[in-house]
Amino acid sequence: MKQFLNIKNLSVSVDEKLIINNLNLKINKGEIHAIMGPNGSGKSTLSNVLAGKNGYNVTNGDILFCKENLLDFSPDERANKGIFLAFQYPVEIPGVTNINFIKTAMESNREFQGLDPLKPGDFLKLIKEKAELLGIPEDRLKRQLNVGFSGGEKKRNEALQLMMLNPSLAILDETDSGLDVDAFKIVADAINSTRSKDNSMLIITHYQRLLERIQPDIVHVFVNGSIIESGGPELANEIEKNGYERFSNG
Amino acid sequence: MKLKKMVMKDLVMVNFLSSEKLDQSFDNLSSFMDERVEAYTNFKNIGIPSKRNERWKYTDLKNDIRGIDFSLCKTLIEIKKASSDKIDISQIDYFNKNKSDYLKPTKHLNDEAVIYLNLSYSNLFRGITIKESPEKPILVNIDSSGEGMSFPRFIFNIYPNVNVEIHFFIRGGKGFINQLIEFNIDNNSTVNIFRVNESTSIHSETFMTYLSTNSNLFLTNLSLPKNKSRFQAFNSFNEEHSSSVFKSVSIPYEGCKDDFLVYNNHIGSSCESNVGMRSILEKGVECSFQALIDIENKVKNSKAEQDCRAILLDEKASMNAKPEMKIFNNDVVCKHGTTIGSLNKDQIFYLNSRGLSKSRAEKILLQGIISEYIPENSPLRNFLPENYK
Repeated sequence: MKQFLNIKNLSVSVDEKLIINNLNLKINKGEIHAIMGPNGSGKSTLSNVLAGKNGYNVTNGDILFCKENLLDFSPDERANKGIFLAFQYPVEIPGVTNINFIKTAMESNREFQGLDPLKPGDFLKLIKEKAELLGIPEDRLKRQLNVGFSGGEKKRNEALQLMMLNPSLAILDETDSGLDVDAFKIVADAINSTRSKDNSMLIITHYQRLLERIQPDIVHVFVNGSIIESGGPELANEIEKNGYERFSNG
Repeated sequence: MKLKKMVMKDLVMVNFLSSEKLDQSFDNLSSFMDERVEAYTNFKNIGIPSKRNERWKYTDLKNDIRGIDFSLCKTLIEIKKASSDKIDISQIDYFNKNKSDYLKPTKHLNDEAVIYLNLSYSNLFRGITIKESPEKPILVNIDSSGEGMSFPRFIFNIYPNVNVEIHFFIRGGKGFINQLIEFNIDNNSTVNIFRVNESTSIHSETFMTYLSTNSNLFLTNLSLPKNKSRFQAFNSFNEEHSSSVFKSVSIPYEGCKDDFLVYNNHIGSSCESNVGMRSILEKGVECSFQALIDIENKVKNSKAEQDCRAILLDEKASMNAKPEMKIFNNDVVCKHGTTIGSLNKDQIFYLNSRGLSKSRAEKILLQGIISEYIPENSPLRNFLPENYK
């Protein structure tokens, strides 16, 4: 299988505190990996470092994405190369309408890939189609980006962006949190529908229920900034049943 | 000794203003009527405002106009309306009219020297009476040229049950423009104002508004001054269920200054006032936001908000904010908030993470801040600097 993302001996600190400690992780094209771990284990730090957020000091290691060192690129370059972070806490952007923002982001991605922008009619058709899949009413597309959205509405909107941008590697940082039972099913199934042999996903979650709907190829247990055990979906079942005690003590 | 010096300076200034040179230029105002003299006396007693005056603490008018020639500069006033609209526009001698139609008493007047100065010398005076809702907006262009001073004055008398949109464009000049605009808004009427300020003069503009029952005043202001500029508004909510919303976007040119002051005086019950400012500041620009919510005793069910947000794009720009509330009863809902700082890093990262470069992300965020007040369908949109459209 073609290697896609290769994290080698990665150590990251914030304010001189080591958060990620000598992490190694390989994701092949078309694979879905899940990371589960207790609060404060460094899962969100990993997603932010992959997306290129400032404030994280990479003290050691490399992150290779399609054979290029991701650390050499700015956040926007990473996004245009196909990395997408679905935020745990999406920010509000007043004055910018949701639909215009998504259109601008798509144009930027397509420009980077040397493609012409979608025709307005084609874009509208596509976004309405995806919004309907996610149960997002049309008027919410015209509202200001995430402004006044509930936690669940924000997560649906992250899923909409994911579906519109169709990235090579989607990092889902607790996308399932804040969703009610019905919304959870809709969002999980919509994300699952984007699965393909060309795209990969890294799912960060606390709950096995998400992994029932988006079945991962590999589950990793993340404790104190390192992967301490990897396995199949059964590992998620064990965590759901017994928690992290075995891994914390080990 | 110091006090004596100040008084002397004030007198020197006043003597200049009353000099023969200035008087001679008032051809159409040769008769110095009692009211003009009274206003002049008030002005003389107060003196030109300086930063020592709390309300003028961010505007050093005394210093700013020191070098200006005390003669009248040429000012063009153009008022356009649809020919079918029934609007009476008159160049009138207000001293021969019923004074009570015009300058109504307000407690804000007590120490406003620039208003008295305008009342003393108002050389360009227009009375605009609107009896029915016009089909099209009224356009008011005020364009001065050359050096010197000018004192335009407008009075808008809005009859009951009228909806009117008024666009003001302020441009030109090298001197000092002291402009006074009064709005008397009768019952159940709504005035919607769009204002563009591109003045190259030192500009001081005062709105005085008297709101009757169920009347509304909306102002959207785009201030792009190319000199020192001050806009001040005194809104008196005289009767019940009147409201106003003032929204101002300020993007002064390099090294320029823009002050925005709105005092809302709730005299009638169940009135609402809302004042907000959005500023984008860089390259030595200085801006100020002063707002007062004044809710009198026995006034019930008032709602009022103040909201100021300024983005400082470099270390040379500065913003002063002074929100104030004077509330004398408990039946009130008031909110105020001020945010001054650089662009939010989390917002920039969010946009970056969708493939937008840092400069593109910053531009989108700034456009977003402006769009809160000047959305795509606003008549002010075309006047925005190219970067922010």
